[in-house]
Amino acid sequence: MAGEARYLDPAIVARLGTIDLKARTIVEGFLTGLHRSPYKGFSVEFAEYRQYLPGDDLATLDWKVYARTDRHFVKKYEEDTNLTCHLLLDVSGSMGYGSGPVTKLQYGSYLAGALAYLMNRQRDAFGLIAFDDSIAALLPASARSGHLRMVLLALERLKIGTRTNVAKPLHDLAAAVRKRGLVVLVSDLLDDPKKVLDGLKHFRYRGTDVVVFHVLDPYELKFPFEHAARFRDMETEDEVMAVPSAVRRDYLDRMQGMISHYKRELGLVGIDYCLLDTSQPLELGLMAYLMTRRRVL
Amino acid sequence: MFGVSFLSPLFLIGALAAAVPILLHLFHRRTDVVIDFPAVSMLTRAPVQQHRRRQLRELILLALRIAALVLLAVSFARPYVAGAAAPMSAPVTVVALDISMSLSAPGQFARAQQAASDAVSSAPASHAVALITFADSATIVVQPTSDRGAVLAAVAAAAAGAGGTRYRTALASASEVIGTREGRVVMVTDLQQAGWEANDEGGLPDGVEVEVAAVARPASNLAVTSAAHRDRVVMATVQSYAPDESRATVQLMVDGKEVGRTTAVMAPFAAADVELRGALGDAGAAQVIVTDAVGYQYDNARFVALEPPPAVPIVALVADAAGTTAGIYVERALSVAAEGREFAVTVAGGQVLSKWTTEEMSRYAALVVLGTRTLDRSGRELVNAYLSAGGQVLLALGPDVDHGTLGDVLGVDLALEPAPVRAPGAMLVASDSRHPIFRPFLTPAGALGDVQVDQHRRLKDQEGRTVIARLSGGDAALTEQVVGQGRLLVFSSDLDNQWNRFPLHSSFVPFAVETARYLTRGRQQRQEWTLPDVPPGAAATPGIVMTGDGAMSRLMVVNVDVRESSPAVTTLEEFTNGITRTARSEPQAPVNVARELEDRQRWWQVGLLVMLAALAGEALVGRRAA
Repeated sequence: MAGEARYLDPAIVARLGTIDLKARTIVEGFLTGLHRSPYKGFSVEFAEYRQYLPGDDLATLDWKVYARTDRHFVKKYEEDTNLTCHLLLDVSGSMGYGSGPVTKLQYGSYLAGALAYLMNRQRDAFGLIAFDDSIAALLPASARSGHLRMVLLALERLKIGTRTNVAKPLHDLAAAVRKRGLVVLVSDLLDDPKKVLDGLKHFRYRGTDVVVFHVLDPYELKFPFEHAARFRDMETEDEVMAVPSAVRRDYLDRMQGMISHYKRELGLVGIDYCLLDTSQPLELGLMAYLMTRRRVL
Repeated sequence: MFGVSFLSPLFLIGALAAAVPILLHLFHRRTDVVIDFPAVSMLTRAPVQQHRRRQLRELILLALRIAALVLLAVSFARPYVAGAAAPMSAPVTVVALDISMSLSAPGQFARAQQAASDAVSSAPASHAVALITFADSATIVVQPTSDRGAVLAAVAAAAAGAGGTRYRTALASASEVIGTREGRVVMVTDLQQAGWEANDEGGLPDGVEVEVAAVARPASNLAVTSAAHRDRVVMATVQSYAPDESRATVQLMVDGKEVGRTTAVMAPFAAADVELRGALGDAGAAQVIVTDAVGYQYDNARFVALEPPPAVPIVALVADAAGTTAGIYVERALSVAAEGREFAVTVAGGQVLSKWTTEEMSRYAALVVLGTRTLDRSGRELVNAYLSAGGQVLLALGPDVDHGTLGDVLGVDLALEPAPVRAPGAMLVASDSRHPIFRPFLTPAGALGDVQVDQHRRLKDQEGRTVIARLSGGDAALTEQVVGQGRLLVFSSDLDNQWNRFPLHSSFVPFAVETARYLTRGRQQRQEWTLPDVPPGAAATPGIVMTGDGAMSRLMVVNVDVRESSPAVTTLEEFTNGITRTARSEPQAPVNVARELEDRQRWWQVGLLVMLAALAGEALVGRRAA
């Protein structure tokens, strides 16, 4: 990963200071890369001109202005503020797992922070709901100045909860959301898929768009363990004695089945699904968000 | 009876460490890796079979670990097994059962067995019991044991033999069995007086109590105490140990058939000679049997060889076998002994003897050297080798002996003056009249005093040489010395009637015979043996013994010791006083006994080896489990 894009690496992001800095780094790095990409201009509206500074992308130079004034200006864009976005972050016990330097919760926090930063730049109203089997933190959606800081501060103070119960907060929130908006769910979805899907469909039935970021650790995806061990559930503390070589194939089949199930079922109801590996850059998540936002708007 | 004891039982406390793996197994069984994982619900449980196998492995591991710890503790505790062999510290009752010939009277040994059984049964309960049987020698039949049934069985299996009674050998064995322990000895015997006569050594330690279970002697006894074959007649002596005049039939048996019979009449406690005539050959053996239904049975018969013993071969070396004298005096003198049956003399010249092999030479029991002039080099080496290998040589320093080569012939320097000494009328005088050669001359009738020697060779004094006889002038006449493994007698004059008239003197024959007997002692074929001495390889029972094969076969007879035939007994007090008492060492402390026992058994080494095996197994099973 070269240039600013390396700041999308979760391992590097984790070493940065506050989540404010992390979110800004992630988004700025993402947007810088985005200018070079075919997705340039997604949901971004013209805001102002600014004098060209060395390092600015030449593609943003406004040649017409240059022709008129003989000076170099670049075009700046800003977003409409007609979208209300709810960031739902799972803080259950299973989100505390991390085989590498970043746990799923950290990864989800970075993602939520980056999304909040991006939404703030785009003048969207956004709120934050952290939950496990109940709502642990709630910041209603807002587009006021200073709200971003509160959201980021709340993300930074999140603690691992207990058991996952995605369905309940989803139902509660779905009933409360009145305005057309976007719900972003960041979770490992290690709950009863039927309940999860019921909760998400509840949003869809009320006209709310939903994007699901399914955050999983690479060890969950590949199960690379070698030696026999007792595997203890981080939420229920149930233990299973397993010989990895003996159970790996079955486990991967089940995991893949769960992912496929979510992808299929969510797709059927028009919910975007994005599988995120905590060892992969956050770029994928931001891109998925922008795609969804574009579709929503 | 059997039990495991420990030298250092406190180490057994260490076995409590075995509780550690048990507790770990029970309360801390999750010794394997625990991984916190969110998607446990997607993991299938380990197959039941694997799970059970793992449980089995865990149990095996637990057992191996417990075994290793327990074995370590037990090994350090130094275990030993106290078996049926009673502890060496236990007091012991030694039953010494007399199985000599003097217990062979009808019904007598059964009484002795009963007395011995009673002694076993009545031994103190705390005592171990041992059984010794004794006659000429003692045998420890049963070592100290608490298994009295085994001792009683051994008593029942015992039988009286033909041996003599030797109390001291029994006492020595009893002392060996008792060792440093407390002990008592029960002597089951007929208290025969002859039992103290042998010069054996043996006594009991101080403090060892002796009880005597006396077995009654028979009322009388008849014994054949001697038998000899002369001129186809067997002369036998029958001894009566009866208080009244005895009349008994005496039979002469050959090959199991009676060939002669007579009746012997004996005065009280007296002997009678009987003459038995019958068809006797010149070979084999005969048996003289006296009828005695009351006394000892083994002395009722005596064996006598009918064939003469083989003559002892002797070679006389002369300078010229064809000469007029040429050892004839020596040959004739030796042919007189035992009517010519005792010695077989071969006269050989030097040239002939020089061609003999060492094996041929070794057949002769003795060599009389009268002349060496004709011996060549091989002959000299032959004589030299014969002497140094154990040969018996009589050398007469007559005129036919070559002084110059004598050293080669004998292998030693005789310190001999080269020139003969002329001393007419020198008298032969025995320096040590007790010497076997001069025993016949102890009486005045057999004196050597009138033997005159005219010429001789002077032997200088030499260390290691014994002068047996001297000449009246003081010079040595007959000397004896050891050469190698052999023996050399040197007569300083001549035995061929050249330098003296000794061969013509009446004392020459006994001198020659006794000298030959002295030299060949041990090489003569012994034909009659008396128990407990028996021919090599023969059983210690009276009878006829054949040794060798074919032409080399020899017949010998073995008879009982007639001293054992006397039923004279000692009193109980005399018997007790006759026991020599020895100082006893301190009794062995029980802990030392246990240590000794443990040292012999060394079970701790076995324990450690098994423990190592358990650890190796634990490592193997544990590795598979990992």
